[in-house]
Amino acid sequence: MTVIWTQNGIVENDPWTSQATEAGAPKLLPLAEALDHAQDNAPFGVVLQPADDVRALAPILERVAIVALTFPAFSDGRGFSQAMLLRERLGYKGELRAIGTVLLDQVPLMLRTGFDSFEVHHAPTIERLVERRLPGIDLHYQPSADRTDTTTGYSWRRTAILNG
Amino acid sequence: MYRYDEFDHAFVEARVNQFSDQVARRLSGEISEDAFKPLRLMNGVYLQLHAYMLRVAIPYGTLNGRQMRKLAHIARTYDRGYGHFTTRQNIQYNWPALSDMPAILKELAEVEMHAIQTSGNCIRNVTADHFAGAAADEVADPRPYAEILRQWSSVHPEFSFLPRKFKIAVTGSERDRAAIQVHDIGLQLKKDEQGRLGFAVWIGGGQGRTPILAKKIRDFLPEADLLSYTTAIMRVYNLHGRRDNKYKARIKILVHETGVEQLSAEIEAEWAHLKDGELKLPDADIAAINAYFAPPALGPRAEGWGELAAWKKSDPGFAEWVGRNVAPHRHPDYAMVTISLKPIGGIPGDASADQMDAVARLAEEFGHDEIRITHEQNLVLPHVALADLEPLYRALLTDGLATANAGLITDIIACPGLDYCALANARSIPVAQEISNRFGDPKRQAEIGELKIKISGCINACGHHHVGHIGILGVEKKGAELYQISLGGSGDENASIGQITGRGFEPGEITDAIETIVDTYLANRTGAEESFIECYRRIGADPFKAALYSSEAEAA
Repeated sequence: MTVIWTQNGIVENDPWTSQATEAGAPKLLPLAEALDHAQDNAPFGVVLQPADDVRALAPILERVAIVALTFPAFSDGRGFSQAMLLRERLGYKGELRAIGTVLLDQVPLMLRTGFDSFEVHHAPTIERLVERRLPGIDLHYQPSADRTDTTTGYSWRRTAILNG
Repeated sequence: MYRYDEFDHAFVEARVNQFSDQVARRLSGEISEDAFKPLRLMNGVYLQLHAYMLRVAIPYGTLNGRQMRKLAHIARTYDRGYGHFTTRQNIQYNWPALSDMPAILKELAEVEMHAIQTSGNCIRNVTADHFAGAAADEVADPRPYAEILRQWSSVHPEFSFLPRKFKIAVTGSERDRAAIQVHDIGLQLKKDEQGRLGFAVWIGGGQGRTPILAKKIRDFLPEADLLSYTTAIMRVYNLHGRRDNKYKARIKILVHETGVEQLSAEIEAEWAHLKDGELKLPDADIAAINAYFAPPALGPRAEGWGELAAWKKSDPGFAEWVGRNVAPHRHPDYAMVTISLKPIGGIPGDASADQMDAVARLAEEFGHDEIRITHEQNLVLPHVALADLEPLYRALLTDGLATANAGLITDIIACPGLDYCALANARSIPVAQEISNRFGDPKRQAEIGELKIKISGCINACGHHHVGHIGILGVEKKGAELYQISLGGSGDENASIGQITGRGFEPGEITDAIETIVDTYLANRTGAEESFIECYRRIGADPFKAALYSSEAEAA
């Protein structure tokens, strides 16, 4: 089973699901193709691999409907830095999706680094996400790309904005 | 020292609950062992040869009596009555049950302690000079900056799945007692021409199978830029560090393969975007953290000068201990005391629960309630009045803690080795014990002078053999243990990597080989004032090799 999950719950009929086979469905394009398609009028998304330089998207980012970052393994954390660069450096405001190996304990960290949608295959993870029982910690010792409040303590500390 | 506020308490409690949930999901099968492994490691839980091991963080090696007493309690209640202090200023318990972990973590939280990021491919416990806040040669106390780094790196969303582990060390003086040149990031506090505080920044040092000394990438980084600059380093490493081979995944390999000029240019370019952002440290925050580390009020105790002289005269054992284990404090009436965890023939770094309780009590009575763990696996009471040295010594003596060997040949660093560790190829502890027994005579040790022996039971180099004046590396050859010797390593401000002498030695030969090396040094030194490392640097490896392998050369 594969679902697309956001903070609003499971997304039905998501057009970008990588399993979509319908003819004419919008496409997630690899980086090189996306740069070529930038002149087209049809909406398109981009799927990046961990070694891709997200900064290459800067000239076409306005035209991109969704960016998907790939996590080839649970232990591969490059996508977290790619997400930070997209949100903080390039100012990307659109949908940012985690795909590949997406497991429960990464999700709070992904939300903090700017991901807002998740393609999930792992059944126990889907169950916990549907129940909204995320294993995150609401107190943060560092600013990140998520919506958080500064605390009255040290400048680097943040607290989560619940149900944001 | 630092005290938790409400935020810290709530955070650690949330972390304990998070980990308890992860353990429960592993036990119910919701998480595979593959996915659970990085999660348990990030909370200090290893699967060792015989049992789980828990590594508890002692941030920058500083703790108080109450905390030490809790460590003793955990050793007694959940382990076999002892703990092992490590080269990264932490403590390891070798026999706790997985099911006891949540209870242990709750007990630790009661005294503002945790096991967060003591392992795993994340930013590890930040280490610092064990004489911080007491040493006379200090530019500034490194611990406030280590504490700021500790907070900022805790459960960092971007840097929790790095290519490999990441170690940061901070030193507060020119004299490097934190081995910063063998860390992923080494920070040396210094002042610029205007008297402003900042850091010299080193990156890419490390030991393991590819020992490399760090490269200095910045001569002066203003203190306000500590977190933004560290973030830039981490981001470049996280994106570009190798992930195809765990033995080439540390930042030292990235520095080596990319070239330090290019890599530091990438770091500077990344930092240019970050430096004026929200990670810039306000002066008020630096001052607030510094305030926690204000030195204790040390009143005048000038009576100690006369008393000390009289005690030394009447008790040669005390005089010897003062000469070896007591160092000058910045306050002339006080001293910094090293409590050796290297009894002759003992296990380096081990302390029993009773010994931990004793140290806690003595720190409260004589040491302004401060204890340090050194990366050389000893303990330090950093603020002891000269007038209290004699009663302190008497008390330490009764608990087997007064071994007068700090910095001498029996003050050996050794990893747990094949007796405990799943990675090891050879035993370390019995080698350390045999060398310690061989050279245990106080007169002989004193004659040899400063000599650092460091022993690792495998190529991962947890026993720091690469930076031992004499390094010993246990390897496995055709199913048997074999020990390689390296000479000339050093982990201080004149850091160097030791050079292998030649073929290895069998377990029954290694202590004799060490003795041959020591005898060669004694025969070649210009006098007692020329230490082993100075002598080695002057005469080179050849005389030592000749002495070690001469009989073979003749036979051939």
